[in-house]
Amino acid sequence: MSQASEPADPEVEMEREIEHDEFDPIGTLVLIAIYFLIISALWIFMYFIEFLGRPTPMVV
Amino acid sequence: MEIHRYEKLWFGAALVLIVGFIATVVYGAAGVGISMVDDDGGTIDPNNVTDHPKFEQTGLHEAEGDDADYEASVIARRFIFQGADPLEVPENSVITFYITSPDVVHGFKIVDTNANTMVIPGQVTEMTVEFDEPGEYGILCSEFCGAGHENMAGQLTVVPEEEWGGLGGDS
Repeated sequence: MSQASEPADPEVEMEREIEHDEFDPIGTLVLIAIYFLIISALWIFMYFIEFLGRPTPMVV
Repeated sequence: MEIHRYEKLWFGAALVLIVGFIATVVYGAAGVGISMVDDDGGTIDPNNVTDHPKFEQTGLHEAEGDDADYEASVIARRFIFQGADPLEVPENSVITFYITSPDVVHGFKIVDTNANTMVIPGQVTEMTVEFDEPGEYGILCSEFCGAGHENMAGQLTVVPEEEWGGLGGDS
């Protein structure tokens, strides 16, 4: 993978050129989606069950 | 600047997550009514804590207002919780704790609950907690208060309603 600041390696031939929106990292998207689902589930468990489920100082 | 559609997607998802976190905390404060312990309890002369009407007798007594079912007066002193060792309350009851200290800063933490507060000499700490289910909770000093700090503990027992013998009862 060459960067703009470096001279292109003459040994490496470009195989395929794609447009910006053609880049499609679906695996990364799925990983991040799973990560978001885990974070959301953990938050719901921690806040609504672990925290609100216990005796808590309250406004009277 | 061109932003990739996936980046827009997870930028939006991150925003939703942050708004969701804030919304749940706001719901806890406004909907459920979780409160922070503040200085509503007022001040007290730390050299004569038993002159204060709330601390003439420690332990559990009938609440004066309608806000709580019972009041518990606790004097946290090096290295005991006077009035909370043990303290028995019935299930499904709302208890307002009045806690003060005649010597140094202590903590009052009811283990396995969210009730945890500082106890400051000269200040009455007021905290209202509802106990729904029977159980045994330890009470710990959560502020380092001296050489006996690690042994400073109390006991709170929430007894089932059918076993509750009333104030001064035998259970």
